[in-house]
Amino acid sequence: MDQIMKDSSSSSNLQLRNLSKVFGQGNGKVTAVDSINLDINPGEFITFLGPSGCGKTTTLRMIAGFETPTAGSIMLDGQDMSALTPDKRPMGMVFQSYALFPHMSVYENVAYGPKTKKMPSAQVKTEVEAVLDSMSLTALANRSPNQLSGGQQQRVALARAMVMRPRVLLFDEPLSNLDAKLRAQMRIEIREVQQRLGITSIFVTHDQDEAMSISDRIVVMRNSKIEQVGLPAEIYLRPASVFVADFIGISNFLEVASVEASSAGLAKVAVLGKEIDVPAHEDALTTKSILLVRPESIRVKRVQGSNQTIAGTQGRVKQVVFYGEHVEYRIETELGIIIAVASDPIFEEIVKVGEFAEFSFDPMRSWLLPADTH
Amino acid sequence: MSSAVLEKENAVALKKPKEIKLDIGTKTALIISVLLLLLMVVFPLLNILTRASEGTGLEVFSNVLKSAITRKIILNTIVLGVVVATLGTIIGFFLAYAQVKLNFRGKKLLHIIALVPLITPPFAFATAVISLFGRSGIITRDILGLTPTLYGLPGLTIVLSCSFFPVAYMSILGMMRNLDPALDEASASMGASKLRTFFKVTFPMLIPGFASSFLLLFVEASADLANPLVIGGDFTVLSSRAYIAINGEYDVPAGSAYSLILLVPGLIVFLVQRYWGQRKSVVSVTGKPTGTPTFIENKVAKFFLLFIPVFIASFIVLIYATVIFGSFAKFLGVDNSVTLDNYRYIFSGVGYDAIIKTSMMALIATPIAGLLGMVLAWLIVRKVRRGREFIDFLGMLGLAVPGTVLGIGFAITFNDVIKIGDTTVLPQLAGGGAIFGGAVAIVMVYTIRSSPAGQRSGIAALQQINPAIDEASASLGASGFRTFRKITLPLIRPALLTGLMFAFAHSMTTLSPIIFITTPETPIMTQKILAEVDSGRFGNAFAFCTLLIFIVLTVMALINLSVRGKSTNTANTPIVRA
Repeated sequence: MDQIMKDSSSSSNLQLRNLSKVFGQGNGKVTAVDSINLDINPGEFITFLGPSGCGKTTTLRMIAGFETPTAGSIMLDGQDMSALTPDKRPMGMVFQSYALFPHMSVYENVAYGPKTKKMPSAQVKTEVEAVLDSMSLTALANRSPNQLSGGQQQRVALARAMVMRPRVLLFDEPLSNLDAKLRAQMRIEIREVQQRLGITSIFVTHDQDEAMSISDRIVVMRNSKIEQVGLPAEIYLRPASVFVADFIGISNFLEVASVEASSAGLAKVAVLGKEIDVPAHEDALTTKSILLVRPESIRVKRVQGSNQTIAGTQGRVKQVVFYGEHVEYRIETELGIIIAVASDPIFEEIVKVGEFAEFSFDPMRSWLLPADTH
Repeated sequence: MSSAVLEKENAVALKKPKEIKLDIGTKTALIISVLLLLLMVVFPLLNILTRASEGTGLEVFSNVLKSAITRKIILNTIVLGVVVATLGTIIGFFLAYAQVKLNFRGKKLLHIIALVPLITPPFAFATAVISLFGRSGIITRDILGLTPTLYGLPGLTIVLSCSFFPVAYMSILGMMRNLDPALDEASASMGASKLRTFFKVTFPMLIPGFASSFLLLFVEASADLANPLVIGGDFTVLSSRAYIAINGEYDVPAGSAYSLILLVPGLIVFLVQRYWGQRKSVVSVTGKPTGTPTFIENKVAKFFLLFIPVFIASFIVLIYATVIFGSFAKFLGVDNSVTLDNYRYIFSGVGYDAIIKTSMMALIATPIAGLLGMVLAWLIVRKVRRGREFIDFLGMLGLAVPGTVLGIGFAITFNDVIKIGDTTVLPQLAGGGAIFGGAVAIVMVYTIRSSPAGQRSGIAALQQINPAIDEASASLGASGFRTFRKITLPLIRPALLTGLMFAFAHSMTTLSPIIFITTPETPIMTQKILAEVDSGRFGNAFAFCTLLIFIVLTVMALINLSVRGKSTNTANTPIVRA
């Protein structure tokens, strides 16, 4: 928490107010972004996460100035950005395709912005060299972008944006063209640079791992609207909707009966033949609700003997996938298929396909939330 | 996905705006280019319209219904257009098919030969064909003992088909290369033979390509002026009739009227083409080949498929040999002794002046045309949202309008000072007594005829460049115009230079628009060639053609060298659309 609350007096805050974007006219009208409101704190790293077509990229492009909002405002430190063309906005952007200028060297690419700003050439040199150095690109300064690896291109794109000392850094799925290992590494690098400089940043991605690991807060978007804004842990453990729970990680949704309020923040529910107290979303008591249990919260134990039926907390294992550090089970239960993950398994205790298993979970590790009404 | 959804998505894609407001530099570029287009194309066309509605002009229109002669001229024009378009498209297809589907030695050579007619001056084909296959032709009379009549439709068909098929060849070749080999593979994997694959898969996908080449050739052939003058004989077409009306009968309204009729098919084809082009882009072929193209290996099939390409290539080589040899012969076919007299004649008289001045004017027009085309392309693809269709249309109009029409339009527009009220806006630009001896008008014609090529290749090149590159520049603080100078222009330079090469070649070899505005102070090579051919001095004409080809090739080589010198690698991943 203190990460986000750290003093960022030099950093900028960004406010989106009723921001909307409608493409096309008449019958061809498509609402890409629908009345979004968001406050981004100085120095904060925010991620827009959502499936393709949810409006996350359009929102980012409106902030950058590449799209004109149909309605609403974008305020940077209290200043309205709407009237400014992209080149006048104090923002840097890192593109999905990197968009490095192929006819310029690495150095020239990075120097392009300062030169455009008519910075004295001696200063251009110092600034560019400093940024190249900080991104470990000095040795590559004279290379052409197409002589670089994907990760190197990515770093040049970042350096090119950084050298402008933007008040806001925008990232449009910048890691999607990299392989998994490099992506994880670049994630750390980007986060490290961002924190060092305290630049307010917005990062668009559809990759949940990326969003979880890099962000201060995550904005989950769906159908042109914000579905939930929260810390990564909130998004994962306290999702506001079935959509969020489903989009991030794997979810088991258990149907519950007779929901009633228990002590503060808890609800008493009947599930799988038992009555338990579970943490609950505030809306869960007033509408139809459903219980979220993550696979890693479910314990699985082989059932021996004659009592082999599918009922209550007992089911039949349909599929077993062994990953090394964990085993994933698909268990047929009276509520349908339940997915359970057993970490650090003991060889003898791994349940086999066709065998019966007793499953259980700690009620405090579950989450009662409103059932999807969409 | 339902078509409604598709349409919706396309609407979104089309509406994707690139920038909010145009900066001053961009605005200036927009205004200047549109003004230039209005001055160089729209204004002359409007003047033709005005003049054609005067006395004798209206008579011409009423004669379309009444006079058998006028109807015959129109019919001739249509027949010529259809025959040449059909033949040219077939030739173009066979050459393209051989390039894509056959493996043989000399493939590259065949490709070059197939493009040679593009830079060949008018008359070169006509005079060579007359010398070889005419009534007293070397091959027809001396070898075969025949005395055929080439003048008229047969000669025109041969000459025009050979001159214009490269247009069909290039467009069909481009289309065939874009076909995803995976489609062939899919067809084969479902058990279809090569022949069945061709007729059921390949051919239907090429139909738009055939149609568009046919239409282009139809317009080119029906509007050509040079060849009907030389080899047309009594076979009068609209362009030659308009030429006679203006240069022989001094009847400007009638000439305007004939050229206006000529404009109709050109404009229709142009509009149909644009419609087609838009539809085609919806079907859009995938950019990345997913399989390897397969070649036809069957010996018999190969022989038959190669027959036409090889025949055509040999014919072109024969024509070129005739032109070059003819330029060194006393009188080809009559007295074949080698001489330099023809060249001496050219360099001693007005010929030398014509060579220098034509080259100069073409060299001046070429960069202007290239820049205009590129700026237009950039405005159309990247900058202008509303009205970009219209700007594209205006820009292409210079080429869509037949040369004869444009030439007449220029003559009647710029032969006088242009006034608004009592103020002179523009001095006299064309004709005798004009400033710079009328050179300005000629440079303008060269420019407006050539810039569409630059515009097209510029648009194609820009569409290959990821818009994110422009956006990156903007987000680094660059204005629209700085982005154009520093990013866009360097990236599309290869396209620009290709455009320039063709622009220069086109300027040097064009006749129909120039012949109406050339003056004694601005002698034009193509017009001199016409004069020599008219007076039967074929040797001089051959020498002129040889020199012209030499100049064109030299300049093209120089341009080419300058591209190679500074290689710009645009083929790499960062700029290709993700």
